[in-house]
Amino acid sequence: MNITVLYVGSSLLAPLKSAEREINHAHRLNLRVATYNFGSPLNDREWLDVEQDLGEANVVFVIHVMDGENASRLVTALERFKDRHDAVVVINCMPELMRRTRMGRLDVNALAGKKERSKVGTLLRSAGSWIGSQARRGKSNRGHGQYLKLVDRLPGILKFVPTAGALTDAKHYLYLFCYFLQPTPANIQSMLLYSLVHYVHDKRLKKIRVAPPEQTPSVAIYHPAARSLFESFAAYRKWYQKRLEPKSTIGLLLMRPQVVSKTTRHYDALIRAIESEGLSVVPAIATLMDNREAVSKFFVEKGKKNVSQIVSLTGFSFVGGPAMNDSAAASEFLRELNLPYRSAVSLDTQTIEAWNESQTGLNPVQAGMQIAIPEIDGATEPFVYGGIPARGQEPVALDDRCTRLARRLRRWNTLQTASRDQIKLAIVLFCFPPNKGNIGTAADLDVFPGVFDVLKRLREEGYRVEVPHSAGELRERLLGGDSEQFGAAANVAYQMSVQEYRRLCPYVREVERDWGPAPGSINAFGGELLIQGLRLGNVFIGVQPTFGFEGDPMRLMMARSGSPHHGFMAFYTYLAKVLNADGVIHFGTHGALEFMPGKQIGLSGECWPDRLIDEMPNFYVYSVNNPSEGSIAKRRSYAELISYLTPPIENAGLYRELAGLKDLVMAYRQSTSETERARLYDSIEALRQEAHF
Amino acid sequence: MHEPKTDRDARVFALYEQLLEIEQRLIPTGLHVFGRPSSAGEKTDLLKMIASFDRPEAGVRALPEAVAEGAVREFVANGAGAAVRFLEKEGLTPESTRPLFTLLENVSAKLQTNNELDSLVRALRGEFVEPGPGADIIQNPDILPTGRNTHAINPYGVPSAVAFARSEHVANSLLDRYRQENGRYPEAMALVLWGLDNIKTQGEGVAQALWLLGTRPVRDALNRTTSVEAIPLAELGRPRIDVVMTISGIFRDLFSPTVQLLDKAVRLVAQLDEPLETNYVRKHVLQQVEQDACDPDDAAVRVFSNAPGNYGTNVNFMVMDSQWEREETLGDLFVTRKCFAYGRDSKGHAIEGREARVAMDRALSRVEATYQNIDTFEIGLTDVDHYFEYLGGVSKAVEKRAQARPAIYLSDSLSREIKIRSLEETVRLETRAKTLNPKWYEGMLKHGFRGVAEIENHVSNTFGWSATADAVDDWIYAEVANTFLFDDAMLDRLRDLNPHSVHSLAQRLLEANGRGYWEVDESVVDRLREITRNLEDQLEGVHG
Repeated sequence: MNITVLYVGSSLLAPLKSAEREINHAHRLNLRVATYNFGSPLNDREWLDVEQDLGEANVVFVIHVMDGENASRLVTALERFKDRHDAVVVINCMPELMRRTRMGRLDVNALAGKKERSKVGTLLRSAGSWIGSQARRGKSNRGHGQYLKLVDRLPGILKFVPTAGALTDAKHYLYLFCYFLQPTPANIQSMLLYSLVHYVHDKRLKKIRVAPPEQTPSVAIYHPAARSLFESFAAYRKWYQKRLEPKSTIGLLLMRPQVVSKTTRHYDALIRAIESEGLSVVPAIATLMDNREAVSKFFVEKGKKNVSQIVSLTGFSFVGGPAMNDSAAASEFLRELNLPYRSAVSLDTQTIEAWNESQTGLNPVQAGMQIAIPEIDGATEPFVYGGIPARGQEPVALDDRCTRLARRLRRWNTLQTASRDQIKLAIVLFCFPPNKGNIGTAADLDVFPGVFDVLKRLREEGYRVEVPHSAGELRERLLGGDSEQFGAAANVAYQMSVQEYRRLCPYVREVERDWGPAPGSINAFGGELLIQGLRLGNVFIGVQPTFGFEGDPMRLMMARSGSPHHGFMAFYTYLAKVLNADGVIHFGTHGALEFMPGKQIGLSGECWPDRLIDEMPNFYVYSVNNPSEGSIAKRRSYAELISYLTPPIENAGLYRELAGLKDLVMAYRQSTSETERARLYDSIEALRQEAHF
Repeated sequence: MHEPKTDRDARVFALYEQLLEIEQRLIPTGLHVFGRPSSAGEKTDLLKMIASFDRPEAGVRALPEAVAEGAVREFVANGAGAAVRFLEKEGLTPESTRPLFTLLENVSAKLQTNNELDSLVRALRGEFVEPGPGADIIQNPDILPTGRNTHAINPYGVPSAVAFARSEHVANSLLDRYRQENGRYPEAMALVLWGLDNIKTQGEGVAQALWLLGTRPVRDALNRTTSVEAIPLAELGRPRIDVVMTISGIFRDLFSPTVQLLDKAVRLVAQLDEPLETNYVRKHVLQQVEQDACDPDDAAVRVFSNAPGNYGTNVNFMVMDSQWEREETLGDLFVTRKCFAYGRDSKGHAIEGREARVAMDRALSRVEATYQNIDTFEIGLTDVDHYFEYLGGVSKAVEKRAQARPAIYLSDSLSREIKIRSLEETVRLETRAKTLNPKWYEGMLKHGFRGVAEIENHVSNTFGWSATADAVDDWIYAEVANTFLFDDAMLDRLRDLNPHSVHSLAQRLLEANGRGYWEVDESVVDRLREITRNLEDQLEGVHG
C-alpha cells in the first residue's frame, strides 16, 4: 500500500516517517509513505522520482504547495495517474491544486461554484483554501481568530454530521483536515490511516479503528524542560526555575506545527543557548497566520512587558503567515509595543548540507519569504540557526549559529540595561577613494558635523565621551594627530602587535593564505598593525580600512575576492576584543565590511562579514534613497539601519553664459523684426560656441 | 511663440529646449547633516516635482504643468486652502486638488523636524526601530520621517503592474532612438540591472528587459510573479531583442526570484518557433549552437553577475587608482568579474553563479547597444563611481568583443516625460547642471572639507566615463580647470578647505590629458603641473 505526500515545511517529515513505522508495526499493511519537499522548484531528475511514486500511490496528500511551477507540473501528473489514485487530498494549496482534490463523490470544483447551504459546505469552502483566499484579498484575515476557534470545535461539530449521504466525503475531508491542523505524531498517523480506511479497498483495513483527533491549544508557552504546554504566562512563571526578569527575558515565537509534531530539536538548542548566556526565555507557540495573539497573551501582561526582545522563529511575516504579509499592521503593532524584533531562519526548502555547500546561502524561495518579507515588518538579525540534515527527518540546530545569535542577544541586552556611562561605542567612518581628503566619505552626507552632534547628544544621554570643541577640531584631530609619524592617513589610536593579533583573532591563518604573513603592508608600520581613529572617552571614532586594492592591480583582476586584509581584520578585532565595543555605528553610505566575501544571504561562521562584526550590535546611518545596498548591510552585517534624509533638491537653473544664452534665445523667439532676429542669431551663435553647444 | 519656420529658427528652438532641460533639471544642493532638519529654504522646486506625479494609492492627482508653478507658490506662501482656491479659479475642483495639498502639507511639516538623532539614541537603548521604505523623496514621500530602518521590497511583487505598463513606452522609445540613428532594430542589447532603481520603481528595469524580449510577467494564485509568457509577435509588432543582462551583486541577492524570472524569459523566447528575423534570441542561440557545437542550454545564458558572494566590477577601483594601461583591460576586468551565470537550465537544475566566460564573450560580441535605466535625480551619472563601472564597463567589454563601440543610452524614468538620452548627452547635461553649476558647487562648498571632496569625486567619476566610454568632451575638462583651478580666488578657497582633494583633482585633470582624453595647449598643462607642485609643497609643509 502506498501513500505519497507532497508537502512544504519542516514539521511533517518526521511524523510521517514515524507514522509509516507505527502503522506497519500495528497493522502489517506493508505501507510505504513517499515524501517530497515541494518548497522550491524540483529538477527533472527529482520529478522522475515523484512521478514514479505517484504512479504507485493509492492515496496522495498535497499540503502547502504554493510554488507555481511545481504546482502546474503536479496538476499534469495527477491527471495522468487519475485512475490509479483512490483519493487525492489537497490541503492549503493554491486554488488550481485545491481543485484536484478527489475523494469519492466530493467535487471541490463544483463546491467552489455552488452556494452550498450546509455548515459542512461552508466549512469546506473556507477550510482547505484559506491561504489562497487570504492572498487574493491581500489583507490580514480579521476572521482568522474565529476561524481558529472553529477549527478547535470542528471535531465536535463533525460528530453530528451523518456518515452516510451527500456529505460523507466532505466530512472525511474535514476530518483529515482536523488531523492535519494538529499534527501530533498520533494525529498524522490517524490522518494516513483514516484516508486508507475510507478510500482504499483492502480486507486488512476493514477492522481498523481510527482514533479521533487529539487537541492541543492554539497558542501556549513551550519549554523543552517542561512536560506539557503552559496555557498562561502565570503558569509558566510558576514553573520556570529562573527569575523571569522582564529586562533580560527573550520572547520567542515558535511555529505551532513544529511543537505539536514534536520536532523541536532546533528550538530546544537555541533556547538552551540563550539561557546559557544568562537570559531567560518565554517560548510562545504562535499560530501560523498572526503572531499578535501570542505576543499579546504571553509577552505583555496588564500593559507591562514580560520580555525585552522578540525573536521570531516562524520564518514568516509577523501578520499574515506564508501567503501574504500585512506589514503595516505588523510594524504598527511592534512600534506600539516598542520591543526590538528579530527573525531567525530554520532551513525549510534546502538541507543543511546544501546550505553549507552553497556559495549563495539561502535559496531564492527562502530568501524571499523568510528574509525579505520579515524585514518589511521591521525584523533584524537574519540568522540561519537550524535546518534539516540531508539524511534527517526533522530540523536540528546549527550550534555555532545558535551561540552567535544568543551572544548577540546578550549584547543587545547589555545595551538595553547597562548604565549609559558604562557603554562603549565605536563610530566607524569611511574613506573612499583612499585619500586623506576623503576621510568621512558618505553619500550626500557631511559626516563630521553629524558625528559631532551625535557626540554631544551622547554626552547629554550620560555616555562618557570627550567632546571636541567643534566639528572642525574633531576632523583635525582625526586627520592629524600622530598620523605622519606612521605614514598613516589618520591618527593612530592603537598599535596591535602581531602577537596580540594572533591571540585575539582566530582567522589569521586564513587571512595569511590571501595576504601573506601578518602584519602585511596595509595599515601596518614597524611590524605592527595600525588602528586608525580617535579615542574620546568611551567612544572611539575609527576609520575603516579600505579593500586594500591600492597599487595592487593583480588583486583587482581576480574574479573572486579573497579575505579582508590583516589591517581590516585587525581593525574589527580591535573593536570587538580590545575596545570591547557594546555597539558599532557605521556612519554614512557606505563601507566595505558588508561586501566582503561569504554567502549572500543566511551567513555561516565561514563568511567574512559575520566574522568581522562578530557579536557586536551594528547600527548603520544610511541614506534613505539607497534601500538596495542598505539591505545588503542588514543581511550580511546584521545592521539596523537609521535612515537619513537626502539633501534639498532644487532646479539647476542657468548661470553665466547659459543664462545669457537663454536671454538671447527668448529675445529671438519674441522678436518680430527680421533684422533684429538676424542680429540676435549672430549673438546666439557666438555665445553658443562659447558655451560649447 | 511661433513655430520654427527656417533652419535658423529650428536651431534656436532646439537650443531653447536644451537650455530648458538644464534649467529645470533637479539637483541636490549641498549635503545633509545627520539629525538636522532639511536646510531647504526654498522648497518650491521639490514640492512642484512631488506634485507632478499621480499617486493613485493616496488618491493624489498630478497638477497640470501649466498651473503647477503658480499653485505651489501659492501653497508655500499662503497654505493649502489658498492653493486649492487658486486652482479652483483655474477650473480644477477642490475635491481633485485637496489630497495633493494634504500630502504637500505633510511633507513640508515632516521636513521641518528631524528624528534621526533621537532614533539613533533609542536604537542604542535597544528599542524598536520602525521600518520604512527607501526611495527618493519625489518618488515616495512616505520615506519621511527618516531615522527608520529602511527595508527593500518583496521580490515576488516585481515587476509591479504599474512598472510593467510604464516600461512599454521606455522600451519602445529606446528602440525608436536606435532605429532613428541606425535605420533598424538592434539585434542584441546589454542592460545593466541594479537593485537600487528596481526597488524604488518596483522593477521598471526588469520590466524593460521583459518588454525587449517580448514577454510579460505572469502571477500565480498567491499573486507572486513566478512566470512569464510570450507576447505574440503580431501584438508586439517588432522583433524580439536579444538581451544580455549584467546584474549587480546586489540585484542578484535582493531579487533572487526575479533573476530566475529573467532567465526563464530568455529561455522561453529562445525556444519559440518563430522566423529568425523576428526573434533575435532564437537566431543567436541557434547560431551559437552551430558555431560552438554547444548545448542549447549554454547558448541561452543571458543573466550574468559576480561570482556568488562577491560584489562589484572593480573597474571603479582600477580607474580611481589609475592602475591600468590599456582601456580594453577595463572591459576585460568587467567580464572577469561579471561572467557568472544565474538561472535554471531546461532540465530544472539551478545555475548558481557558474563561471561562463565564453558564453558571456559570445553574448557581448553581438551587442549593438547598451542601456541603463536611471530613476533618480539624487544619484546621477557623476555622483557615484558605480554607473561608469557598470554601464561603462560593459560598453568597453562590448567594444572589444563586437569590434565596434555600442550605442550607449540612458533613460530618465523619474520625469513627467520619459526621455532616452545618449551617454554623451547625459554627461554634458550632468556636468552643466551639477559640476560646473555655481548653485551646485557653492552648495557643496558650504560644507567645507567634504564639499571639496565631493567636487573632486564628481570630476573623477566624469573621468571614469572617458576611461570606459570616451564620452567626455574636451571642453568639460577645460571648464573644470577654469572653474576650480585657474580662478585664483576659487583655488585659494578650495586649498584652505581641503588641500588633499584639490591635489587629487589637479592630478586627475593631468591624467585626463596624459591619457589623451583632453587635448589642450601645453601651457595649460604646465599651469596644472605648477598648481599640483604647489599643493604638494603645501601638503608637505602642513604635515612634514
